[in-house]
Amino acid sequence: MRRAVLAITGLAASTTALVVLKGSPGTSQAGQDLPADQASVAPGASGPGVTPAPGPAGSGPAPSTRPSAGASRTPDTKQTGVTAKATTAAPRTTTTAPKPSTRTVTGPTVTYRYGSLQVQITLSGTRIVNATGLGMPQSGGSGLRSDDVQARYSGTSGEVVAKQSANLNTVSGATYTSNAYKQSLQAAIDKA
Amino acid sequence: MTSQDTYAAGRRTGTSVPHGGRSAAPVPPPPPPALPRRGPGGRRALATVFWLGLVAAVLPWWLDTPAGSLADTPDLLTGAGRITGLVAGYLLLVQVAMMSRLGALERWVGGERLSRLHRDLGATLLVAVLAHLSLIVVAYAGLEEKSILGEVGSLLRDYEDMVSAFVAAGIMVAVGFTGIRAIRTVLPYELWYHLHLTSYAALLLGFGHQVSNGAQLFEAGPVRTGWIAAYLLVLAALAWGRVIAPLHFNLRHRLRVADVVAESPDTISIYLTGRRLNQIDVLGGQYFRWRFLNVGGWWQSHPFSLSAAANGRWLRLTVKVVGAHTADLRDLRPGTRVWAEGPSGTFTAAHRTRERALLIAGGSGIAPLRAMLEELPAGAALIYRARTPADVLLHPELDWLAQARRTSVWYVIGSRHDPGPRQVMSPEGLRRLVPDVTRRDVYLCGPAGLVDEAVRVLRRAGVPRRQIHLATFEL
Ligand SMILES: Cc1cc2nc3c(=O)[nH]c(=O)nc-3n(C[C@H](O)[C@H](O)[C@H](O)COP(=O)(O)OP(=O)(O)OC[C@H]3O[C@@H](n4cnc5c(N)ncnc54)[C@H](O)[C@@H]3O)c2cc1C
Repeated sequence: MRRAVLAITGLAASTTALVVLKGSPGTSQAGQDLPADQASVAPGASGPGVTPAPGPAGSGPAPSTRPSAGASRTPDTKQTGVTAKATTAAPRTTTTAPKPSTRTVTGPTVTYRYGSLQVQITLSGTRIVNATGLGMPQSGGSGLRSDDVQARYSGTSGEVVAKQSANLNTVSGATYTSNAYKQSLQAAIDKA
Repeated sequence: MTSQDTYAAGRRTGTSVPHGGRSAAPVPPPPPPALPRRGPGGRRALATVFWLGLVAAVLPWWLDTPAGSLADTPDLLTGAGRITGLVAGYLLLVQVAMMSRLGALERWVGGERLSRLHRDLGATLLVAVLAHLSLIVVAYAGLEEKSILGEVGSLLRDYEDMVSAFVAAGIMVAVGFTGIRAIRTVLPYELWYHLHLTSYAALLLGFGHQVSNGAQLFEAGPVRTGWIAAYLLVLAALAWGRVIAPLHFNLRHRLRVADVVAESPDTISIYLTGRRLNQIDVLGGQYFRWRFLNVGGWWQSHPFSLSAAANGRWLRLTVKVVGAHTADLRDLRPGTRVWAEGPSGTFTAAHRTRERALLIAGGSGIAPLRAMLEELPAGAALIYRARTPADVLLHPELDWLAQARRTSVWYVIGSRHDPGPRQVMSPEGLRRLVPDVTRRDVYLCGPAGLVDEAVRVLRRAGVPRRQIHLATFEL
């Protein structure tokens, strides 16, 4: 009994500790960010049977994603703070000058295990206001996974808009689709 | 009346002073024990394997999650949900592995300790499963901006293997709650047991969603391969421990009831014979799970200790009638086939840490101690608590062993409130009887109340915990 209480307390404490350790970006961790990110990209790219890496021909995914992901993440939370201010300021400018400043950028087609997809983002200035995956599988289990990914990431209130980066939380059960999405998205962000 | 027969510290047999001795006399160094020692090494190795496995289960999540990537609440909840999910998947495996009755586990850790660990780990598993489920549901509901119920609906509808995962969680909750002692004791043992068997279904039903939806396990690669391999390994252990090894044992030894004799009004001894009994690797103090293959009994398996050390000619159990099954055993016919699973347990002379031992028995708890006495080095001491003289089992044998093995035996008769027993079961009383008690291994077997009380007294008398060995007849 005493052991059970200890074990349960240990479970709660260590889960919290792990999550907090990974959760806090902290300035001191900016340097560590890069290798950690690299590590998370590398297994996906080098894992057996994973096609995303060689997929986007010529875009050299690893080197291109690394610096930008690192750069965009560190100020992540700060950036959302800034954009929040920007949006409060935005209405004024839009009311005075309804400049058609939105543009769409489409990422490269990424081929992966269950098909291929392309991510299209809509930007207003430098801020992403919408995103959508194109050409994602429609049927069967992979279709369902695509729907999950689409539901999580895309749209005006999806994770892409919320986070303003390709540093998205992988959707459970849709790792391939998530990775492909993130890859095309990253390339689109780089292009924009 | 019992008072006259209350030989609290009064009677002793088999030492140089036949009567009225006060303490276990120091004995010249005994010849080196022939018994192989089984230290705690195996147990420590298994503990190491357990912790390494736990780290290995969570490590993929750690490596897959970039630092600083869990920015908002749903992310944090998802992260915690995934960790608890991995922990739950791993603990479920460990739970089943511990119950696989693998010979090595039963010899190194012992059935009683295994079931204690199993109970504690079970509570942890239950909490991990509930945490995993609620964290993931709440997190996903937050991410998709749905209600909790709506999210559960979409998980069940849209995700692969989630229906079976929810069924598995339901089973684990049911098993976990009926494992709570207060609930367990009011349930018939068989109901509890068979409900427990459904946890194998939970193992299989819960597996699908781990590889189809688990963020760390979905992707083919070393992590997924390792996880699947661990599951296969546990299934193999189950098949080995529960089917193949018992089949081999029973085909080899073909045990049968030879005789059933009454030891007291409510206690019987069952003698078994069979083939190649001299090749059974069993130690005094160990137990088997027995199935008596007659009309009413074949579907029930009950643990009983051997009450005599292996002698190559027969095996014996001494059984106190406490319920329906043990009552039926009185009517066993000679010739009845017997299915045995074991041996199990670390309650043996081979697990001692010191040269000499003190044994404390209550009621039918004398059975394993009687067997162990044959294998302990000379100079052991036995305190036998019984309510009335008629409750003293195997009395002639104990007297004989006391002579042959130079063992001091005290029969302490009476209720626990009588002065004799009260005096013996106190730190001072114990020290008077056995002055070197702190330098002995103490083996306790009997009703839970007696055992708990004795542990308290021994600790107060200064006996280190690792020198105290318990058997409570409870799994
Ligand atoms: C390791 C071990 C060694 C034992 N050695 C002996 C022995 O040498 N001599 C002896 O008289 N008794 C021994 N017992 C106790 C014996 O197993 C129970 O008394 C017997 O199973 C009771 O069955 P019942 O149907 O007659 O009684 P019930 O009234 O049905 O059960 C009484 C209690 O026994 C326990 N029990 C019942 N069935 C089982 C089972 N299948 N497996 C485990 N526990 C069960 C339960 O806790 C229950 O509450 C031992 C128990 C254990 C765990």
